[in-house]
Amino acid sequence: MIDPYLMRRLLYGLLFLGLSTVIIFTRMLPLHAGAQAFPPPDLILCFAFAWTVRRPDYLPVFLVAAVLLLSDMLSLAPPGIAPLLAILGLEAIRSRRGLLSDQGFAVEWASVAAVLFLMMLAERVILGVFMVPQVAFGLTVLSLLVTVVFYPVTVLISSLGFRIEWMKPGAIDPEARTT
Amino acid sequence: MARSKARTEDYVGPVRRILIGLTLFVLFALFLLWRIDSPRVERFRAQLVDSVVPSFEWALVPVTKTADAIENFQSYQRIAEQNQELRRELRQMQAWKEAALQLEQENAKLRDLNNVRLDARLSYVTGVVLADSGSPFRQSVLINLGARDGLVDGWAAMDGLGLVGRIAGVGERTARVILLTDSNSRIPVTVQPSGQTSILTGDNSSVPPLDFLENRDLVRPGDRVLSSGDGGVFPAGLLVGEVVQGKDRRLRVRLAADYERLEFLRVMRSHPGEVVEDSGALIVMNPATAPVADGLPEECLGLEEGDPLPDTCPGPDATETVEVTQ
Repeated sequence: MIDPYLMRRLLYGLLFLGLSTVIIFTRMLPLHAGAQAFPPPDLILCFAFAWTVRRPDYLPVFLVAAVLLLSDMLSLAPPGIAPLLAILGLEAIRSRRGLLSDQGFAVEWASVAAVLFLMMLAERVILGVFMVPQVAFGLTVLSLLVTVVFYPVTVLISSLGFRIEWMKPGAIDPEARTT
Repeated sequence: MARSKARTEDYVGPVRRILIGLTLFVLFALFLLWRIDSPRVERFRAQLVDSVVPSFEWALVPVTKTADAIENFQSYQRIAEQNQELRRELRQMQAWKEAALQLEQENAKLRDLNNVRLDARLSYVTGVVLADSGSPFRQSVLINLGARDGLVDGWAAMDGLGLVGRIAGVGERTARVILLTDSNSRIPVTVQPSGQTSILTGDNSSVPPLDFLENRDLVRPGDRVLSSGDGGVFPAGLLVGEVVQGKDRRLRVRLAADYERLEFLRVMRSHPGEVVEDSGALIVMNPATAPVADGLPEECLGLEEGDPLPDTCPGPDATETVEVTQ
């Protein structure tokens, strides 16, 4: 008999994988070729943050990195930079989640937005230093704003749909006892 | 229990940190490798896309078909309106057809007069669009043609009407087409009728601007834009679009290809153009290779001076070539 907690972690990992596959798949559908007025949100990153803030034990950061690397390789993006910054951002949030736990959603939202903003800045700086051609600054800011706006939506989906909620003190024990 | 958990975390912490550090290093190394040796990584990327995307195809097809069906259904709703529109267009087209026929005849006559030779080797392969680029700021599509169809980087892709983009990245079964609207796309074009050459620069908008125009005054909105073939990468004379003036008063190109519905793409097989390297000899040293040697048998050609002449050749005194040699 597998340990139910381990089983659950495994299932959530698979769930994240499935979710990202669906997101990458919809991005790849040949429905919106040509220039778009509005950049779509980076939902994979949103879900990764929402899960890491709530239950970091459900989502290994390496899984997120692997998924982002794959999505980089499938699109034309410079490979490696997005997963690298995602690891740094997720670890930053993860080490500070003790502070976020009793502050309410607004603080969480603001700090995730701040981390995303720093990630965006860092990406632009790295690409600038290595002289990789980039898109206009306005477009990246717009895309960041859209991502931040979509963050509460992913939080709602995660907590209502997938039951990923803040762990209360002593919650591990009953969880471990359920058969 | 809680204590043992805390202890394992203490033990796991450093290992985890080392692993994360390693991953960061590997990712950064990958980025550096891509920056330094881009073709190798791009080839790997093409192989990856080649193995991942066709396995999505079974799912891509029904979704695309459903979306098309919804679009078609929406177009049924305004069918009467469309009918009127089509009739109107048909009348215009008949006028155009008449004009085209006359022009074709005139063109044929002029070609005949000029003895123009068309490039017979310009042929094409047609493929189906598999998937979008997947990135919001990149304008590219994947098609189901690849190295097995003989595709080569840099070939031009068209839809039925106009130029769509160029091949960048060829896998075994798939290839990526960078659209003209992508910010990395630069295509040499000519604007007709003035013949001004220019570079069509993609900038992520649906109407890319014309750069490096020599004389702006000669180009006006409504002029036709064709690929110029400068640089030898693209075949010349493919229709690109029509000049329009943007809101910022820059000259832009409205593309002839229908970017909203890219379904089938035609990839033009272009071959490297032949280059004339001879500077052209003015003084003819050998009578046999002189311009008058057209009707000579083969063994007379390529003779060195002083070689014995075969019997079948006319002697040097037979024609006026003697005068040329002297």
